[in-house]
Parts: sequence; structure tokens; C-alpha cells
Amino acid sequence: MNILEATKIHKSYGNKFNKEEVLKGLDVTVKKGEFVSIMGPSGSGKTTLLNVLSSIDKVSSGTIQIEGKDMTVMKERQLAEFRQHHLGFIFQDYNLLDTLTVKENILLPLSVTKISKKEADLKFSLLAKELGIYELKDKYPNQISGGQKQRTSAARAFINEPSIIFADEPTGALDSKAASDLLDKLSDLNDKLKATIVMVTHDPVAASYCSRVIFIKDGHIFTQLTKGEESRQHFFQDIIKTQSVLGGVQHEH
Amino acid sequence: MSINHLIVQNLKKNIKNYFLYIFALIFTVALYFAFVTLQYDPAMDATKGSVKGEASIRAASVLLVAIVTIFLLYANNIFIKRRSKEIGLLQLIGMRKSKIFRILTLENLILYSSSLAIGVFVGFSVSRLFMLILFKITDVEADATLSFSTEALKQTIVVFACIYLLIMLMNYLFIKKQSILSLFRVRSSTEENNRKVTVFEMLYGTAGILLILFGYYLSSRLFNGDFTSINGLFIAMLCILASVILGTYLFYKGSVRFLFYIIRKKKDGYLNISEVLSLSTIMFRMKSNALLLTIITTVSALAIGLLSLSYISLYSAEQMAKDNVAADFALASEQDAQQFKQALQEGNIAYTDHTIEVIQANVNVEQISEAKTQVLELDPNIMLTPVIRDSNTELDVAPGEVYFTGSNDLLRKMLPLKDSGTIELLGMNNTIPLTYLGMRDEFYVSYYYTSGGVPLAVVDDSVFEQLKQDLDPELQKGSSLYIGITIDDESQLEKANEAYKQANFMTPHESRLEMSSNQKRNMGLIMFIVGFLGLSFLVTSGCILYFKQMDESEEEKPNYTILRKLGFTQGDLLKGIQAKQLFNFGIPLVIGLAHSYFAVKSGWFMFGTELWTPMVIVMLLYTVLYSIFAFLSVLYYKKVIKASL
Repeated sequence: MNILEATKIHKSYGNKFNKEEVLKGLDVTVKKGEFVSIMGPSGSGKTTLLNVLSSIDKVSSGTIQIEGKDMTVMKERQLAEFRQHHLGFIFQDYNLLDTLTVKENILLPLSVTKISKKEADLKFSLLAKELGIYELKDKYPNQISGGQKQRTSAARAFINEPSIIFADEPTGALDSKAASDLLDKLSDLNDKLKATIVMVTHDPVAASYCSRVIFIKDGHIFTQLTKGEESRQHFFQDIIKTQSVLGGVQHEH
Repeated sequence: MSINHLIVQNLKKNIKNYFLYIFALIFTVALYFAFVTLQYDPAMDATKGSVKGEASIRAASVLLVAIVTIFLLYANNIFIKRRSKEIGLLQLIGMRKSKIFRILTLENLILYSSSLAIGVFVGFSVSRLFMLILFKITDVEADATLSFSTEALKQTIVVFACIYLLIMLMNYLFIKKQSILSLFRVRSSTEENNRKVTVFEMLYGTAGILLILFGYYLSSRLFNGDFTSINGLFIAMLCILASVILGTYLFYKGSVRFLFYIIRKKKDGYLNISEVLSLSTIMFRMKSNALLLTIITTVSALAIGLLSLSYISLYSAEQMAKDNVAADFALASEQDAQQFKQALQEGNIAYTDHTIEVIQANVNVEQISEAKTQVLELDPNIMLTPVIRDSNTELDVAPGEVYFTGSNDLLRKMLPLKDSGTIELLGMNNTIPLTYLGMRDEFYVSYYYTSGGVPLAVVDDSVFEQLKQDLDPELQKGSSLYIGITIDDESQLEKANEAYKQANFMTPHESRLEMSSNQKRNMGLIMFIVGFLGLSFLVTSGCILYFKQMDESEEEKPNYTILRKLGFTQGDLLKGIQAKQLFNFGIPLVIGLAHSYFAVKSGWFMFGTELWTPMVIVMLLYTVLYSIFAFLSVLYYKKVIKASL
């Protein structure tokens, strides 16, 4: 079952006279329970793609359906509501509120739902223990490490059981130990909760945790790799190979 | 890009961003210029009345300068910090500090001189309005014509030039102190670290509330007879001031944080969006702004208190004159009365007169007195009391009984009496015991006979005659005759008053109209000055809070981005901001109002006869004007939120 279906999405910036096309007619589908990563060189449009898919940015043309609902026709208000109930976010720079404790940050998305406090508490302790941040619940973000912040941010993304979670370079600001910790947890949660995750990354190690990798280049889908029954090591090698083919900067002749 | 181009560009940008700063600048110049124009205008002589009036205007103008200077320095401080990044950038590309300073100086010079010009223009236009208001509240009839006073212009320019130099000095010191790195860091270094509420904080948070409550309690006991000597009163007042001000400071420093912390703890992590935006941010901000908020609160309390008191006097002027002068005109001898009546007849003014014989006697009130201790160096048990016959009043008092009349709030406070009991009329030789029936509000004779405010005893004719035979001559006033003359047709009162003024009386005499207009003139001027200062203070403190909020909103912009990404709508965020501003502006306002309420409550009866109406009017007006700034800040937040995603 496809949870996300995007067809022919175009996105361009600038005005009529000075137009820069970033996405040039991409088709993306994500199945329920998939852990997909989007890779590509700098400027290939991967963050733009994520922003568009996650409704933070608007497409120029094309349709995006999440759970069968077309998001490209929704109004600002509906979109916000949709994000609240169906989407979760993890960002590179954590995006935690400094004035709230870890627990308050995590429970924030639940404040708009009609969920009881007891139930919220239960959900929180389950998730926080899973992610190993339960002991930090009364600390403020500036008192904990980057890895802990990102796990807090992940807990916040999972708490309202969204249909799909978007992660923008979640390991970008973490050291390798914290990064692999986080990715372990993410794929654990992906397994256990059957959560769908779409992650943008340029780190092949991070991508190797996924079940499928979409490579994009200059606004087009370049290729896709599926993990299948391969080991993570092997999949990692495949990713590296594809990346080298993809190259960084191409010199035009 | 040349320097001039840079300056022009900066100005263009600044006018859009800092329109309130420029508005405040123009407003203060206008206010000051209007005030000084009034000060120099010859038409004002009528209202100034005396040397005292002149002096109070001059003192007020000095105070006004102080308020304006502090405000402008503060505002400039906020704005230069906001531009520290830009200054750092200019330094980074190799511009020398002296050159940057020159740019800033020139920019400010343009800003100041144009604000000064507009302000003077506005000030001149509104000064006529101010004068009309002044004439209105002082009941002075004069033409409100104004001439442009070069003297006033000169003074305004000198004052604002001095402020300008001061501000430039501050900017110079600011730029000189900064290195490129620290310029970039200004923002982050002022941010408050999020720490848990410590036990120590809880302690002084509680202490703050207790101190304020203690001050309030003390203020309610101030004139209850607990403090007898002048020294004691003075010390008590100092205690109140110290405990309330210190309490306010601790309240901002700890109590708000402490209270919010308890609320948050109760929520156990489950905060809704409004609470996220209000509770959690205010908790950390209020502490770092404690000193500023204390000053703002204290001075607003002072302004509201003084305004209330002067408005109470003004408002009660007529009632007070009524209480003090029992008829339109009060005379004390037959000759004077005859002379005045004749004048009235000549003027064809109809009148009624009545004569009351008033004698003075000591009264022993020991049994009904509730005064705990000796007040004002008087024996509370022996009271020099004027006595009149009951046939001169509409009361019917049996022999052996007595009514007291003419009580006022001041008396009730200073000399509390029981509702019933026995008193003794002390004659020269004999003592007449009487049953005390209670205190009534009517005034039958003027304050000349009641020594300014003691109650009047009304007794049966027979008791009166008995006492009259047994008088202590040393206690008697120069006259024991009260002749009240009431003009039948109120429209002729003015005319009668003219006759009264021309008459040549030999004995003490009073005119109610004269008294009330005197009172109005004096209090009106004070009210006008206090109002003027209060208004300028209100605007400046409102602006300061607004600027603070502007700064805060920019700092919190990333948070709004996060929240909007998470799916909160602009409306959700705005609701939270409204709650936040309710606290941000509401807490200082409510505390200021509470302070002034208790201050006014403790001593208002010395100023007039009516507490509630004038005080509530003043407070409402203040609240409304103050709320405008809260409203403006919400609008600014709205813009920031909109731009955050």
C-alpha cells in the first residue's frame, strides 16, 4: 500500500525572468512501513524535495498524495492541521524549543490532540525509554548533548504516531557514535511501530540503514537501490559505488 | 557605495523598523515643547496663581527632561544592540571605528533634527489644546490664544541637543568597547540560561510576595492610630515604601518564575501551545528584566497614585466646600450680614437666611471613644465641641440626649467613636451627662465654628440654655453667631458672589463658591502637571516594553519556525502570543495598580471626600492607554510569525 505518492512534481524559484528549476518532474512513491532515504550531491534538490513532500514548501506543479489525500490543493490552515496529525519531523539542527524541558518538547505535538494526560504519559515513557532519554526528561535542551537532542527530536516525531516521518539530515550534526546510535533506534522504531520514514542524507552509512535509497541529481531521479535481503555492509558498498558514478560536480565540455 | 548612500539606505530601513522609536522621539519633543510653551505664555499667569504654581511648573519641566532623557538613552541602547551585527560587518570589511561612529552620528543627527522639527510643530499645535484643558479643569476663564515662543523653542533645542550629545557619547563608548567578535555575539550573551528553579529562588520568590503583602497591611494601619507621633508615621511610611519596592523587585526576580514553575510542574510536561509561548518564555525573561520592571511598576504606581489623589481633591472640591461652608455664604456677625443683605437687595437677588447660635464647650467622650492612643497630641477624651439647639435643625433631641453631626472620613479615621454610650458636657461648674445617639452626616454650621472638622453637638433647647449659663468664656470663638445666607436662584449665585467680594466684612466670613473655585484652581494646576508627567511616563514606559517585545519576538522567531513546521497554525501561535502579552504587560500593570490602590487608600481622606469614582476613572484611563502598547506589540508579533515560515 502506497502511503505517499508524488507525481510529476516541479518546483522552481525566482520570477518569470530569472527562473531556477530545482525539481524537474519527479515521481516518488513510498510504501507503508518503508525506511527510504534520498541521496544526491549538494544542490541536487534533495532538501527541496523533502520540504515539498512534507508540505513545508509548495510545489509549482504536480500532485502529492499522502494517505490518499492530495496536499497540493490544501489551504494553509488545512495543511497545518494535516502536519499536526499525520506528519512527524526530525531536523538536522534538532529544532527543539530551548524554553521547554525534554518531556515538554516531546509532548508538544500531543497538545492539539484530544488524548488524555495519562495516555500521553504512557506513550512518552515508552518512547523515551526506547530512545534512552527517559532520565533526561526534566532537563533543558542546552543541558544535553547533540545526540540526546536528536533523540529527543526523534521522540517528538514519533509521539503522535504519524503516517510518515520526514528526517532532514538527522545525523548531519552528530559524531559517528551518536549517529549510529540514532540510526539504530530509528530502524528499530521503523520495525517495531511500522513507522514510515523518509530521510534525506548525504552520508552513505546513514543511507545503508534504509530499505531503499533514491538518488537524485539535478532535479531528476537518477536511480534507486533496494536493500532486499542484502546485509547492511553489502548495501553500503552498493551505495558507495552508485555515489561515485553520480559524482559531485560535473564539468561541462 | 558611498558613505552617504549607506546612510540614506540605513535611514530608509530604520524608518520602517523603528517607526515607534521615531514616534516616541517626536512625541517627547512635542510634549516637552508644549509644556515649555505653556510655561512661557503670559496667558498662563491666571492659572499659575502664585509663586508656588510657578515653581511647580518649573519643577515639572525638570522632571520631564529627566524622564525623556532616561527613556531616549534606554531606547538608543536597545537599538544600537540590534544593529551590532551590521556594525560588526562594517568593521569586518575594514571600516574604521571612527568612521562607523561618524556614520551613526550623522544618521542620528538627521533623525533627531527632523524629529525635533516635527515635534516642535506638533507641540505648538497641541499646546493650545493643552491650555484649553488646563483652563477647563482649573475653572479659569481666559482666552486660550498662543503665540509662538522663541524662548520655548530655544529651551527645547538646548535640552534635546544635550540629550543627543549624551546619546552619541553612549554610542561612542559602545562602539569603542566592542571587538568584531563580540559585536556578533551581543545577542547570544544576553540570553538567559535555562536553569531549574533553585531553593534559594523559591525563598526569595516567597519573600517578595510576603514583603508586598506586609507593605499593604502596614499601609492600611497607617492612620488607624497605631502610629502616633510624626516620627512614627514617617518611619512607617519609609517601611512601607522599602518593603513594597523590594518586594516588587523580588517578585519579578523570583516569584513570577516560582509561580509559573509550580503551574508547569503540575502540568507534568503536557503543555498546550499557549502555555508554551507564554509561561515558559516569561519565566526566563522576567527575571532578567526585574530591575527595569520594578522601576516601571514603581513609577507607574506613583503616577497613578498622585493622579488619583489630585483628581480626588479636584472631584471633591464642591463637596468639600459644601461641608465646610454650610450655606452659600456664611457670616459671623449681624452687621456683616446686614451689609451683605443690603447689597443683595440692591442687586435684586432673592435669598434666605438663617441664624444659629453656636457655643463652644468641652465634652468628655471617654466612654464612646475608640481611639486606642493619643492622636495629634490631643487628649482624646476631652474634645472642644461646638453646641447648637435642636430647634435650629430638623432633628428632635430629647433632654438628656445628644447627636453628633458633621462627620467626615478624616475624623472617622482619627477619632473613631462608638455608636452609642454616654458623654459629658463640661460647663464651667457643672457637668451635664447626655446619652449619645450617634453620628450624623449633616453640616449645620461652617468650619470656622467646628475648628476645621470636629463634630457638632446637637442638644435639646433646655440643655443648650443650661450650658449657656455655665460657659467657659475662654473656650468661645470670636463670634458665637452663624448666619447662613442661601441664594434662592442658583443662576444668581455668581452675581451674589461679586457682591460678596466687594463687601467689607469685619468678622470671619466664607463663600462656598469662592472656596470651591480656589480649591479647583490649586488642584487643577497640580492635576494638570501630574497628568502631563504621568502621560509622558506612560508613553515612555509603554514604548520601552514594546521595544523589549520587538527584540524578544526577533529572538524567538526560530521557535515560531519550528512550531509552524510541526503544524501549528499562525492563529494558534497568535493566541499564545496574546496570552504572553497579557502577562508581559498585565503583570506590571496590575501590580502598579495594586500599589497605587493601597497608597491612595491609606491617605485619601486628607485630600477629599470621594474615593472611588475619581480613582477608578484614573485607573481605567491609565489601563486603556497602556493597553494600546500591548496591542501594538501583538501586531508586531503577528508580522514576525507570518514571516517565520
